[in-house]
Amino acid sequence: MSGQLTSVLRSLVFVLFALLLCSAIFQTSGFSAVQVLNSIAEGAFLRPNAAAQSLRWGLPLFITAVGVAISFRAGYFNIGAQGQFYIGSIAAAICAEALTGAPPIFVIPACFIAGMAGGAFWALWPGLLRIRSGTDEVITTLMGNFLASLLLIYVTSGPLKDPSGSGQQASSRPLDSSYRISDSLGVSPVIVTTALVTGVAMWLLVNRSAFGVLAGLAGRNGQMIRWLGTKQWQLGLASFLISGALAGLAGTLEFMGPNGRISSGFLPAHGFTAILIALVANTSVIGTAVASLFFGGLASAALYLPIMVGLPASAIDIINAAIALFITAKSAFVDRLLRVGRRDHG
Amino acid sequence: MHRSFVPALSCSGVTVQYGPVTAIAGLSIEFAPDLIHAVVGQNGAGKTTFARVAAGLVRPEQGQISVNGRPLPTGSVPNARAAGVELVHQSFALPPSFTIAEAMEFGSTRPGGIFSGRSLARRWKSHLRSLDITADPNSRIRDLPIEIQQGVEIARALVTESKLLILDEPTAVLSPSGIDLLFDRIRRLKSMGVTVVLILHKIREVLAVADTVTVLRGGKHVAGPLPCTELESASLARLIIGDGTTVREGGDIKALTGADAPESFERTAVPVTETPARTTAPLLEIRAVSTAPDSEGPPLSQIDVTLQPGEILGVAGVEGNGQRTLVRAIAGHADLISGTILFSGVDVTRENLTERRRQGLRIIPFERNTEGLSLTSSLWENWSSGALLQGSLLRYVRPAQMRASCDTTLSRWDVLYHDCRQSAGSLSGGNAQKLILAREIDDEARLIVAAQPGRGLDVGATAFVWDALRSARDRGCGVLLISSDLDELFDISDRVLVMLSGRSVGEHSAPYDLQAIGAAMTGANQ
Repeated sequence: MSGQLTSVLRSLVFVLFALLLCSAIFQTSGFSAVQVLNSIAEGAFLRPNAAAQSLRWGLPLFITAVGVAISFRAGYFNIGAQGQFYIGSIAAAICAEALTGAPPIFVIPACFIAGMAGGAFWALWPGLLRIRSGTDEVITTLMGNFLASLLLIYVTSGPLKDPSGSGQQASSRPLDSSYRISDSLGVSPVIVTTALVTGVAMWLLVNRSAFGVLAGLAGRNGQMIRWLGTKQWQLGLASFLISGALAGLAGTLEFMGPNGRISSGFLPAHGFTAILIALVANTSVIGTAVASLFFGGLASAALYLPIMVGLPASAIDIINAAIALFITAKSAFVDRLLRVGRRDHG
Repeated sequence: MHRSFVPALSCSGVTVQYGPVTAIAGLSIEFAPDLIHAVVGQNGAGKTTFARVAAGLVRPEQGQISVNGRPLPTGSVPNARAAGVELVHQSFALPPSFTIAEAMEFGSTRPGGIFSGRSLARRWKSHLRSLDITADPNSRIRDLPIEIQQGVEIARALVTESKLLILDEPTAVLSPSGIDLLFDRIRRLKSMGVTVVLILHKIREVLAVADTVTVLRGGKHVAGPLPCTELESASLARLIIGDGTTVREGGDIKALTGADAPESFERTAVPVTETPARTTAPLLEIRAVSTAPDSEGPPLSQIDVTLQPGEILGVAGVEGNGQRTLVRAIAGHADLISGTILFSGVDVTRENLTERRRQGLRIIPFERNTEGLSLTSSLWENWSSGALLQGSLLRYVRPAQMRASCDTTLSRWDVLYHDCRQSAGSLSGGNAQKLILAREIDDEARLIVAAQPGRGLDVGATAFVWDALRSARDRGCGVLLISSDLDELFDISDRVLVMLSGRSVGEHSAPYDLQAIGAAMTGANQ
């Protein structure tokens, strides 16, 4: 328990450091740091509708991030969430296109399944390569992201192309409104329920199943699991598939919900923010939920910043990048700080 | 010794500490030029450390190394190489993706530049030919048979006109015919004026190739360099193993645990195992098993092992003679070429480890901290993993319940800990081993493979482990105990099997003859 508390504290310290660093950057570039932070808070939570906006961005992020967390727990650094998200959305779009005309009660679940299958497939081949021949999954999933982006460009400017599009950004034909699961605001009972069900199911899987305990052990020491039996590959492959399926599910939600169509290069940072969330949450499911709301809030604030303080939306990218920097640096300094603190208490 | 030469390599008063462990203490040896010198000793005698000091890889705390009479600054590989000292490691060090020619260029101290594959091949062709390596210089090292790989390693060491070549356990990875090839190669080097120092542990090999032999034991210089022509294998075995004064009285557990040993460690005489009715099949039967060579040690070659219920079978042998492969074969991790493995008469050769564990196989692996436990995971996760792996992965588990039964079990096994949520890495070695025992010696355990279970433990913990294995035996389990500690084996084994180069070279029963087993371990009686 104290270990979990320490990791939460550590993440908080990292986020604080990142905000401090960014405040310094904003201040030196001629903005009032206080005002910027204030309007981020407003844009994320305080303004009317801000909470809904934060949820709109936070819920799909949560679904993707919890999948990333599961593959990290099992010891696989699947950084292909972005590609799996795209392939999931493409699969759902193709499914919707193929079933056009069928009743929504049939089409919507079918698209969900197609999207999850698409995402899972985009994690399957790196998983197989990793487990069967030891190919580094960091490389394969990263390359998978590029392939998926190109495929997205192809389908949106080819088979699924919307002929009435402006030409600025290739997009698919819009999804028939009867199949939409939310309006463009992006928060609807279907999406909230999907996120809740995903969260509960994954919490049970991680904390209340043999899979959760064993995958956690395998992630920390795969050799030991090898000497206890031969299920290491099952654990690994299952983790890959789950993380891919969840990213695909998030892609489906974005397609059938707020976006209503897929466009080339839409939500380009989604999968990477999800990786960041899984890291900040130290792969805990509940931590992922909290961190997703925080990053959802940042995403929501990104749209509000230009209006309020004249700061470009990419200021949020700087904050995300700073958090990523601190989290991945695994600062020995912060560790020492926390350790000293702990010694004082006990 | 009468000195009429400038020693090719001499060390005086060399002492190396690894933390609290003294690897070699005050070592002083002189090696005459133009000869083949063997350095022998048991595992932990300090042979490899000596080689690393000479090659500049390890800086000794004290002492001096001289090459051809000139003192060598210690702890510097470039200096050692400049003086002509080269080391060929036990595990090969060349990148497997290199071609032979690239490996030669990599080893040379020639200033770099731009070159083509063809020019490299041309440059090194004659060098390779002179060392009898006929493989294409453009073939990749990973594609070569292991004997040639070793030849390439040696050739790499000789590109700098080296005059002193140290080979660390070069025979460990070779087949018998590969060893003959290596020895031919070494004799040719000698005729070319290279002084060769061979780190070996098999007497047969020493006598086959070396001109002199130096014996180390426990980091200290015991004897040598002695001319091999004046030596007999039996007396050499005695020098290596010791004269018996270090061997405890058989079964004196009190002396081992100290006077205040807990009651449970007390042991009356070794219970005489009643010979089980031979109508039942043996618990473990390994029939003529051979394995494919791999990087984890020498392969098994036509090994037979039979283990009855209620028996502790000790496996003796100098480390690295296939014991690891034997355990891997029993676990289903080794690649079998031929032979069968039966558990209680049932052929499990093709079954995976999960299935074998279902049939009662339990393993205490060699490496406690990497293969036995996940140090960063909690005690209860480590403990429960064995049972969890037997069921469906999606089975519902209650961590609180598992923690409670973990607490019960660990206290029964006398593990000292605060909270079963603490990490396994926070346990001492002895308690960590008890945690593994608590997991592996459960009610369903029937065949227990214990690999070096007492290594690195203090006497109290060691005695606990032995006691646990004995009581498992008395319950009717079969125990296969792999150890390089002969005292341990003699004390608790009902029979002892000796392994050498992946083969079983004889079986002994109490009272054990240290000399005979020592000779078998070192191959002196072959």
